[in-house]
Amino acid sequence: MDDSTKQVLRQIIRRIPLNKLQNMLSKWEHLSKKQLRSLEFTQPKWLLCDNLLSICEENDLSMKHVTELEIIYRIDHPAQGSWNVCQLIDPEEEAVTADLLHFKQLFKAHLRGLISHVSVKTKKHEDGAIWIRIAWGDNFTQPNHLKPTYVVHHLQTPYVFVSGLTMKHKPLLHQALVLSAHYGGIKDVHLSGRCLTALRDLLMRQYKQVFPVKHPRLLLERSPLPSNPNIQMEHAKHAENRLQMAAEAFGEGILPKLETAVYKLETRFRENGNGMLGRREEPFRGVVKFASSNLLESLKYCVSSGMASAPVTPLLSSITQKGRNYFVITDKGPGASHTPGPNI
Amino acid sequence: METRLSATATPRNQTAPHRSSKSYGFSRRSLGVELTSRLGCTPGQLTAVRIPTNRGIPKPRNITEQVDPEHIALIVKKEWKLSYVTPLYQFGHTQLQSYSRQLAAFLAAEKQQGVAVEVGQELGFKVVFTAVLGLAETDDDAETVLIQIHSKSAFAAEGEAAKLTWSGWLSCVSGDVEYLRSMPPDFTCLPLFGASGAESLTTLVKSWFERTFDCYFGPLAINSTNLEWLAALWTGCHPDTNIRYLKLAWTIPAQPPLDVSYTVHPQDAWELWNSIRQESGLRDTVDIEEVSCFIKGLESHLFRHFRIYLSAGTLTKVSTTLGSAHQDGKIRITSSDMMTSVLALLTECALLKMPV
Repeated sequence: MDDSTKQVLRQIIRRIPLNKLQNMLSKWEHLSKKQLRSLEFTQPKWLLCDNLLSICEENDLSMKHVTELEIIYRIDHPAQGSWNVCQLIDPEEEAVTADLLHFKQLFKAHLRGLISHVSVKTKKHEDGAIWIRIAWGDNFTQPNHLKPTYVVHHLQTPYVFVSGLTMKHKPLLHQALVLSAHYGGIKDVHLSGRCLTALRDLLMRQYKQVFPVKHPRLLLERSPLPSNPNIQMEHAKHAENRLQMAAEAFGEGILPKLETAVYKLETRFRENGNGMLGRREEPFRGVVKFASSNLLESLKYCVSSGMASAPVTPLLSSITQKGRNYFVITDKGPGASHTPGPNI
Repeated sequence: METRLSATATPRNQTAPHRSSKSYGFSRRSLGVELTSRLGCTPGQLTAVRIPTNRGIPKPRNITEQVDPEHIALIVKKEWKLSYVTPLYQFGHTQLQSYSRQLAAFLAAEKQQGVAVEVGQELGFKVVFTAVLGLAETDDDAETVLIQIHSKSAFAAEGEAAKLTWSGWLSCVSGDVEYLRSMPPDFTCLPLFGASGAESLTTLVKSWFERTFDCYFGPLAINSTNLEWLAALWTGCHPDTNIRYLKLAWTIPAQPPLDVSYTVHPQDAWELWNSIRQESGLRDTVDIEEVSCFIKGLESHLFRHFRIYLSAGTLTKVSTTLGSAHQDGKIRITSSDMMTSVLALLTECALLKMPV
């Protein structure tokens, strides 16, 4: 084991919490049962790390093996760092029938053709997704394993999830992806967040959706003794209406966990009545950012509790409908380049 | 100010107050408690200081001519946690050196409680009290006092210089004249306290002040009205100093809580503010109606897009490149030009907390 391998292993061990380390190492399958038993997980981490290093040296493990541990950990704990989503467009005929082995070989070959020093490692996840770990170098330097890029792709879907990618390597990755998945191009979806599964669920609509119905459902909770039946009924109707609207816009049950949504406003300033900036034609520029530990849940709560007026504005419902969380809003309306107009 | 006779002299009012209902034989603090129990109302309700509904237009002022730029450099750019302080009893600006020694000894004693100390060992703290001259706006304002604590870490190498680990200041800028003049002799009013550094040191410094000058420290929050004033004040500066952005942040009590932030283009924000000012006929003063009209305008622009009632939540933070202010009493002033205007507004907030 050379020094850089040791350094990478140390970094990986540092990132894995002590209580998860044992589980991860047994999943890794590069230590014998006896070796694993010899490690004491009650020791301080640096001491444990030293012992682990000497075992790895004994087993003659290389960078290839060490990075495998990182992939295993990332697959188990994907909610680290920020994930961006890209969409492959214009599929060719082969795109539908692409198989994993073929894709893997092609991807590695294409990427190596584009850049000389690059280290690619792939792993298939139980849910069918392929996880790719890329360590980038350039013509003169060896791949940097300390700052890898992670790519997650579900074959037969157009979506690619990317984390830790620099602007410099973006065109290289995009080209390799397009060529090996047999698509015509790739574009940014403008959706980002920490929770990978949430992004996937949002785009693939794997959450409980609610559709407009003709016969409204009965409210589950109804007070047993209404003081004034008419008022109660009126209130209940409003509340039910709000709940329905909120659910239609954002879904029901456990919602995908998004952290932020950003809107760049380039619309005209209109104010009812007192004519502030009345004759101004230029747009009133600004950026609005919504942030929460679970954004869709918060927005849904706002609508159902009446803190936002129903029906939900298309700007907010576009997060789920269009599966993105970055928007540029102009006055030109829906006709203009893939941006929803304010419609108000 | 040129008319000031002696900048270092602590303003003391020699005329005794003619308020028969109050006795100043007790400390200010116990007086407050006593009044509360006797009259059955809180001291705050007796205050003569009222929230103003209009202010003079703040003008960017180059204070570097009056105030030592080194002192300004110590105050700008840091984030300060604000508190209010009741008037200090027998505080003198001429005694600062002795206060430095006393506070250093107090800190060392508190830190070493329960620890065996070698006799004659050098104290771990070096404290410097400095009077920041020139920040005061009127003759009744006491001069600002800056406190710096340098300490050596336990692992510092031999001969390594002590680092600045904590700083704080006590200030009074354009305080309410009537209130300051009604102050009995021997009291100095420096109602605004800012601290930056370890929380534990802040607590110790406060307790030293409370013991030495018989005063009381309380947390100073900046309510949404004052945040709105600051937003308008900073926006109004745009033609003189580029504010780069105007950012307003709200927290909506959804589950989980929703944070909404709105960053407005500086020129557009200024044009909106200017149009409101034009509308009400460019007077020398700014009315609270104009300020709330400005914020309402921005809020309704947001509502038009997102249909979320921001009034359901609270305005928590305003910031521009000139500075930022948070609802929980944290403030950062990055431009010395606007320093006095901001400090004057905060002094006013602090004075509203004073017992009378």
